[in-house]
Amino acid sequence: MSAARSLARATGMSSRRMVQSRSGLAFTAAFYVIVVAVLAGLWRAAARGGTGTIVGYDAVALTWYIAASEAVTISLNARLIDDVGRDIASGAIAIELLRPASVLAHRVATELGTVLPRVALCCGVGTVLATVTAGAPPRPLALVFAVPGMILAVTCNIVAQHAFAASAFWLRNAGSAWFLYQKLVFVIGGMLLPLEVLPAWLHRVANVLPFRAMAYIPARLASGHVEPSLLLQQIGWLVVLAVAAAAVFGAGERRLQVVGG
Amino acid sequence: MTRFGLRGLFATMRGAIAEARANRAAFAFQVGVMIANDLVWIAFWVLFFRKVGSVHGWDARRIRVLFAVLTTAGGITLGFLANARRVGTMAVAGELDAVLALPVMPLAYLLVRRIEPTNIGDVIFGVGLFTFGCAPTPSRTATFLVVVIASATLITSFLVLTGSLAFFAGRSEGGELGFHALLLLGNYPVDVFAGAAKIFVYSVVPAAFVSTVPARLVDHFSAGLAAWLAIVTVVFALAAQRLFSVGLRRYTSGAVWTRA
Repeated sequence: MSAARSLARATGMSSRRMVQSRSGLAFTAAFYVIVVAVLAGLWRAAARGGTGTIVGYDAVALTWYIAASEAVTISLNARLIDDVGRDIASGAIAIELLRPASVLAHRVATELGTVLPRVALCCGVGTVLATVTAGAPPRPLALVFAVPGMILAVTCNIVAQHAFAASAFWLRNAGSAWFLYQKLVFVIGGMLLPLEVLPAWLHRVANVLPFRAMAYIPARLASGHVEPSLLLQQIGWLVVLAVAAAAVFGAGERRLQVVGG
Repeated sequence: MTRFGLRGLFATMRGAIAEARANRAAFAFQVGVMIANDLVWIAFWVLFFRKVGSVHGWDARRIRVLFAVLTTAGGITLGFLANARRVGTMAVAGELDAVLALPVMPLAYLLVRRIEPTNIGDVIFGVGLFTFGCAPTPSRTATFLVVVIASATLITSFLVLTGSLAFFAGRSEGGELGFHALLLLGNYPVDVFAGAAKIFVYSVVPAAFVSTVPARLVDHFSAGLAAWLAIVTVVFALAAQRLFSVGLRRYTSGAVWTRA
């Protein structure tokens, strides 16, 4: 079986497992509704209370922005860095090295399979929620670009989390790192707020970091901005992150020592 | 509770503290991470209000008070009474056997048994924020201390209540969702909600009484509002205690011997 087919099967199997987990999906949907209702409500109140727009986004655009940014974040396992780090530190990952496939690629493919059904669910729920609470999408055409933007966003995020987690090959512990990583996505990734809200210097910093590819870009597209070049930026970041993660994982695998079994 | 029972609980708590402090470096690191996490939330609100000014009467100054109350109260519950969050999962996994064999009240023992060092960082952050960012005066400080105790009691009660539902439902997801919903909704001033959502945060998930109402009391004390906070806290505390006791009768051992 070719490597690509093997990875596709891994993605498909974990997707099917996720779809079977009705309670897990219900939990994701319920949590997503609460978060979007609250955060989008806050931004709508802020926009309507002032001049009607905030940094160029009106109440409807802000609602769609939050619906998309939360969909690509809540769908992910928040503690992925911790989980991968623990497998590395405990040596459990050693068994995966026996497979005739890249450990990193297999893990990313499996995680992507878990995340995609959740993204699809959040997209559906978010569309209904945003339409009911704020109104129709500002520019429906932008949603055509937002969908691939969301898939690229979660893929970038999963790959980046593996790159961070690989620090456990050296530190033996990636615990708590997930907490800080998550907050970078929250603020300079644009999950909680459009990056245009940031002060100019922080906005410039956010623009040269990969976190914007994980939340801001799909959210910007969903909020009615038809900017296909943003997808190219995401693809560029995905390549950079994949190369970085492969390099760190490769170096880590070479120095892995497992005692006992 | 007997004197022996109380002594047992204090001894358990001392053991939990010693366990948490055993690895000083890890303890300090985890506390630091949580403080950094809380600073990010404050940064979000600073950026938000810098752009929008105020929303429904809430501005950066009032949000600091809300956050000081929430992080201190949340830190007390999730840090010092860490098992409050795990009641549901322990009930479903059948991990309560060890508790039932002890001559102490099961719920009280369970609550003081485990300390989560990460959330001690919340307490340090909350107290620090109030001290340096909320213009403390003797009366504001006294109110802050009282409302923090009420809020921590309410959070603990709510977590035990939703966790105890697992005794009946056989699943613990409801408790987890309750936990996330309470703390998430508590992060925001209740005035941004309207209609049914507002009723929801004042009743089903009492997030309004966890942060907004206490913050209001610190800023403008009102006996009526304080009475409401006390009533809601007592009602949830009694309901949690009762549901846990009734649920325990339906508990099925998982033949897992843990120290809870």
